[in-house]
Amino acid sequence: MGLKIALAGNPNSGKTTLFNSLTGSNQYVGNWPGVTVEKKEGHLKGNKDVVIQDLPGIYSLSPYTLEEVVSRSYLVTQKPDAILNIVDGTNIERNLYLTTQLLELGLPVVLAVNMIDLVRKNGDQIDLNKLGKALGCEAVEMSALKSKGSMEAANKAVAAAKAGRAAEPLQMYTGSVEEAISRIEELINGKVDAQYLRWYAVKLFERDERIEEELQLDSSVKKEVENAIVKCEKELDDDAESIITNQRYTYISGVVAKAVKKKGAKHSMTTSDKIDRIVTNRILALPIFAGIMFVIYAIAMGGYSFSIGTMGTDWVNDVLFGEIVPGAVDSILGALHVEGVLYSLIQDGIVAGVGAVLGFVPQILVLFLFLAILEDIGYMARVAFIMDRIFRRFGLSGKSFIPMLVATGCGVPGIMASRTIEQDRDRKMTIMTTGFIPCGAKMPIIGLFAGAIFGGSSLVATSAFFIGIAAVVISGIMLKKFKAFAGEPAPFVMELPAYHLPSVGNVLRATWERGWSFIKRAGTVILLSSIVLWFLQGFGFTDGTFGMVEDNNTSLLAAIGNAIAWIFYPLGWVGDMAWKATVATFTGLIAKEEVVNTFGVLYHYSGELSEAGDEVWNLVAADFTALTAYSFMIFNLLCAPCFAAMGAIKREMNNTKWTLGAIGYMCGFAYVVAMIVYQLGGLVTGEVGFNFFTIVAAAALVGMIYLLCRKGYQPEQGNYSIKGKMSVEAR
Amino acid sequence: MMPLTMARAGETVTIQGITGKDEVRQHLVELGFVVNGEITVVNQIAGNLILQVKDGRVALDKTMANRIMI
Repeated sequence: MGLKIALAGNPNSGKTTLFNSLTGSNQYVGNWPGVTVEKKEGHLKGNKDVVIQDLPGIYSLSPYTLEEVVSRSYLVTQKPDAILNIVDGTNIERNLYLTTQLLELGLPVVLAVNMIDLVRKNGDQIDLNKLGKALGCEAVEMSALKSKGSMEAANKAVAAAKAGRAAEPLQMYTGSVEEAISRIEELINGKVDAQYLRWYAVKLFERDERIEEELQLDSSVKKEVENAIVKCEKELDDDAESIITNQRYTYISGVVAKAVKKKGAKHSMTTSDKIDRIVTNRILALPIFAGIMFVIYAIAMGGYSFSIGTMGTDWVNDVLFGEIVPGAVDSILGALHVEGVLYSLIQDGIVAGVGAVLGFVPQILVLFLFLAILEDIGYMARVAFIMDRIFRRFGLSGKSFIPMLVATGCGVPGIMASRTIEQDRDRKMTIMTTGFIPCGAKMPIIGLFAGAIFGGSSLVATSAFFIGIAAVVISGIMLKKFKAFAGEPAPFVMELPAYHLPSVGNVLRATWERGWSFIKRAGTVILLSSIVLWFLQGFGFTDGTFGMVEDNNTSLLAAIGNAIAWIFYPLGWVGDMAWKATVATFTGLIAKEEVVNTFGVLYHYSGELSEAGDEVWNLVAADFTALTAYSFMIFNLLCAPCFAAMGAIKREMNNTKWTLGAIGYMCGFAYVVAMIVYQLGGLVTGEVGFNFFTIVAAAALVGMIYLLCRKGYQPEQGNYSIKGKMSVEAR
Repeated sequence: MMPLTMARAGETVTIQGITGKDEVRQHLVELGFVVNGEITVVNQIAGNLILQVKDGRVALDKTMANRIMI
C-alpha cells in the first residue's frame, strides 16, 4: 500500500507552487464529490508509492466554507498517513491558526515554513527547533518559489508517515476550557475514533452543527455536553467559539514569541505597501488598470507591429491551415487514393472546421499568459478590490471581474474562473452574465458586419463591447430584484498577497490549463459538429432523390433553416437572408467563429475565407440593411454561447435547472434586445412600419424598464453569509 | 469606540470588538482580526480599506469595516 500525504495550508502560502514542484506533471485534477471544489492529487516525484493530496487553500477547519468542509471531512474520514502543513513564514502568526487545528487531528504533521528567503531578507529569524518543540511536530524551512527545501519537506513527511507517530498533544487550552473539553472527551469516548477524540471534543465545544449532526448523540449526552459548554461560557463571559479562537491565538503568540525574532519595526511600510499606495490609489487605480489592459490587448489581439498574438493567429490561418495542413492532408489522401465524398469530408469538413478554431489559439494564449502573470504577481487581487466599488452598484462583487476579463479571450475558462467567488448567488449571477462578454470568437462576427455594412467603422466593434458590458450591468440589476438573487453581494474580504516576481512554472501552467480548455473543443465538439455541418450543407434532396447537392440552397441545412426561420421574423430576419442568418446562428452555437464561415459557405464563396470574411462582404451587404445587421449582431453576441461554454456552465452550476435557466435567460435576453432594436429602431428610421411586433417590442421595453426600476424582493436585514474561500489564490 | 472606517491611512489601531453574526465574525478571526489585536490602515478608497493584520494584507469593504470597532 502506498502512503497518502495531505498538503494543507492557507491560500497564498505557496501551496500550489509546492504541489507542482513535488508532483511535476503527475497530476490528476477532478472535483471533490458533489461540489465544484477542485481536487488535485499526484504522485511524489521519484517515489511512485507516495500520493500527495492537495487540499484547498483554507484559513481554518470551521464549517463555514465549502473548501473547509471538504478538507476536514477528507482529513477525518480518509485518514491520510501524514499532513504536510505549509505556512507562510512572513505571516506566521495567522498561518499557525490553521496549524493548531491540524495538530488536534491526531495525525503525523510536518510543518514546512515557506518563504524563508523573504523572512531572512526582512532580517527576521525563525528558530525551527523551538518552533517544532513548541508545536510538538517537526518543522522544516523551504522556499517553494526557489524550489529550495521542497523535496526535503516532502521526505520528512514521508518519514513521519512511515513512523506513524502523531503530533504531540498541545497544552493549548487553559483552566476551565481544558476542563470542559476533557469532560466532553469523557462523554463521547468510544463513540468516535480514538485518534480523533480531541478534535471531535473541541468541535462539539464550538457547537459545530455538522459534527453534532454527524455524531447523532443521545439527548442525555447532548445535554451533558451543553452543560459543560455553558458552565465554561459563564465562567469566561464569552461564547464558546470565541473562547477557542482566543485561546488558540494566545497560544500562538506564545509560540511565536519563543521561536521568532523580528527585526523590523512592527508596522513599517513594505515595498508591497508602497506599490499599493500607487496602484490602488483613489484617482490613479482605474487609469493604471485601463492602461495595463490596453497594452495586453494590443499585444495579444491588436494590429500593431508588436502584436505577437495576432501574428501567430495570422500564421496559423494563412500558412498552417492555409497551406501546410491542407497540402499535407491532400498528399496523404492522394497517396491513399481517397477521393470524392470522403476527401471532401476530411478536407472541407474536418480540416477547415477545426482549423478555423485553432486559428485563435495564439491570440488567446498570449492574452491568458499576461492574465496569468497579473494573477501570479498578486495584481489581480487588487483589481478585484478596485472594481468592487463599481460592480457592487449593479449587484456583483469585485471578484466577478476576473472571470469577465478571462472571458474576453474565451468564455469557457472565464466561466470556470467564477469558482473563486464565495457566495453561491454571486457566483451563479457571474456565470449567467459572463457569457455576454464578447469573446475572441465573436470578434469575426463583428468584423464581418463592420466591414460589409458599416464601412469598416471601428465604432461597431466598440459598440459591441459596450453592448456586452451593458448586458452585464442590466442583467445584474434586473436579476438582483428577483428573490433567488436578492440581497447584498457578499461583503468583500480578501487577502492581498505581497507582490512578488512571477513563477515561470505557475504562469505557464495556468496559461496552459485555460488555453487547453479552449483547444480541447477543437478536438471534440467542433470536430464532431464540423462533420455534421458538412453533411447537412453538402447533401439534400434534388428532384426527389437524396444525394450530394451542388447548390446549397437545396441542402438539408437550407431546409432546416427555412423551417425555423420564422422564429426570427420579429427580429427582422426576412426574405432571402432569413434562412442563412438562421443557419449561421445555429452553427454559431457550435463555435461563434463558425458564423462567419457559414456565411462564406452559404454565399458560395469557394476559397479560403479571411477571418472577417472580406470576400463575401458585397453579397452580405446586398442582403442585410444596417438595422438587420445590427439585430443579427446583437442576437449572436448575447444569445447562448457555444456548446463548449454551455458545458462549462453546466459543470459550474452543477444543477440542471440552473443550467437551463442560465442558457434560457441569455437567449431570451438576446431575443428581446434584438427585437427592441429592430422594431423600435426601424420605426424611428422608417425602415419598419408599425405592426403587431412594434407593440410587443414596446411592451418588452417597458417591461425591462419596470424590472430595472422596481423595488424588488427585500431580504431580511443582516442576511449576510460568507461561503467559500476568501482569496484569489495565485494558481 | 468607533468603527474602523473612521481610522485614517497610516494609523495603527487596536480592535475593541467585532459586531455582527458569528459567521462573519469567525471569518474575520481566521484572517487575524482578534480583539485587542493591532491593525494598521495601509490605504483607503471611498471607505474601502486595505489593512495590515498580523503580517498579512487584507482588503475590506466599507460594510465590513463598519463592524470592526476600534
